Amino acid sequence: MKMSREYRLDTLLIHGGFEPGPAGATTVPIVQSSSFAHDTAEDLEDIFRGRKAGHVYTRINNPTTESLERRLALLEGGISAIATSSGMAAITLAVLTIVRSGDEILSSASLFGGTFSLFRDTLSNYGITTRFVDPSDLRAMRDAVNERTRLIFVETMGNPRLDVPDLAALAAIAREAGVPLVVDATVTTPVLGRVKELGADIIVHSTSKYINGTGSAIGGAIIDCGTFDWRRESYPHFEPFVKKFRQFAFSARARKLIHKDLGACPAPMNSYLLSEGIETMALRMERHCDNALRLAEYLAAHPKVAWVNYPGLAPSPWHETAKKQFGGRYGALLTFGLADKAAAFRCIDGLRLAKNLANIGDTKTLVIHPASTICADFGPDEKALMGVSEEMIRVSVGIEAIDDIIEDFAEALGAI
Amino acid sequence: MNLTVNGKPSTIDGSERLNVTGLLAALKVAQAAYVTVELNGEVLEREAFDATIVKDGDAVEFLYFMGGGSAAFPQSRR
Repeated sequence: MKMSREYRLDTLLIHGGFEPGPAGATTVPIVQSSSFAHDTAEDLEDIFRGRKAGHVYTRINNPTTESLERRLALLEGGISAIATSSGMAAITLAVLTIVRSGDEILSSASLFGGTFSLFRDTLSNYGITTRFVDPSDLRAMRDAVNERTRLIFVETMGNPRLDVPDLAALAAIAREAGVPLVVDATVTTPVLGRVKELGADIIVHSTSKYINGTGSAIGGAIIDCGTFDWRRESYPHFEPFVKKFRQFAFSARARKLIHKDLGACPAPMNSYLLSEGIETMALRMERHCDNALRLAEYLAAHPKVAWVNYPGLAPSPWHETAKKQFGGRYGALLTFGLADKAAAFRCIDGLRLAKNLANIGDTKTLVIHPASTICADFGPDEKALMGVSEEMIRVSVGIEAIDDIIEDFAEALGAI
Repeated sequence: MNLTVNGKPSTIDGSERLNVTGLLAALKVAQAAYVTVELNGEVLEREAFDATIVKDGDAVEFLYFMGGGSAAFPQSRR
């Protein structure tokens, strides 16, 4: 039998990491159990000491969740994966595995609002400083590295700015600085491209989005690419993990310490839903991307639309980078501007098919006015960094019939 | 071949030379992709698994980082 690692991505989405369960079930069984009994005291001692494989407690590991983790690691070409309770939990755990009080994060300024808030407001309370820099300005990124920098963080496509940083160039800066490149690949998914091959050392996902696909479960994931050498003076806290687990040092510190202690584990039911959703991701992403390009082209030609931002359109300053990095597919997020905030509100209120809500990556087309909702707590300067303006609507383009999506926007724009 | 595996005596049948990758298979080590192997007190790099030959009398330790790791959907002996 072929090893799953030899299969192509579309096949891995369906079969990767799956091991037959009881009674020959072809879907991952939902092991809805808090803890796991073992035959002898010695068995449980061996499991706790890491000498033997086995489950202990669902906060630590769970068979349903592990099946999802194996699949995610294979999809990204990583050496292991950790599933978490949400995308924010994945980012928090990944970052806290690497940095300690007094350390610095060098981050893209173009971030999902939740991540921006985590770095700026929460981690700063624990002595962790974040420097936010435009990731397209490579010189500024390089200049922002200092002796306290412990990681570089970037999104594959900034949400909602929709910029596309040159990941290989950022990876080179990270290598030169001797720090890992942590990449949030939620918006592009491994279907558009494996960012490990562009130089990512650690990959994070909000699996609630395209991996789940239907908006039915919240989840996150951390993938360890096994590419960063933690044997450096600047990471003394990794020393015992390098000594014991070598290439798995990050996974071990994350799993045995940070993830275990913070307790942001997924529910087995959610791991099941994510495992189900992931199987159709390649097909969905193809339709998502096709629909997004068609809607972007329609909006760009509409007289009431002031501007459209989509990496798939040639005028986007990030079009060429996106084309190079993601094989001619540009994701399913776009933003567009109307005359002002009032016009944006009237457009959203006039949409009948598209849902007005705070999420992306659903089969359904979703819209939101970021300036008054997900980015409302940020000041004008920060909104500008994040590419948010008052007249802007963000669209997460779904996989409905594209003509229905376009007609929905045509009617809403017509009524402004 | 007689080995000490995780502190306990273990016998491997057959007279063929066995590398660490072969040992993982012979012992049916669960989740072998995630296990760290210590041979006679030295932690091995994964890249060295194929080239490292196990000899009679060796002491081998397997170590999981996942808080136990797992055999997928294991059946209890009871």
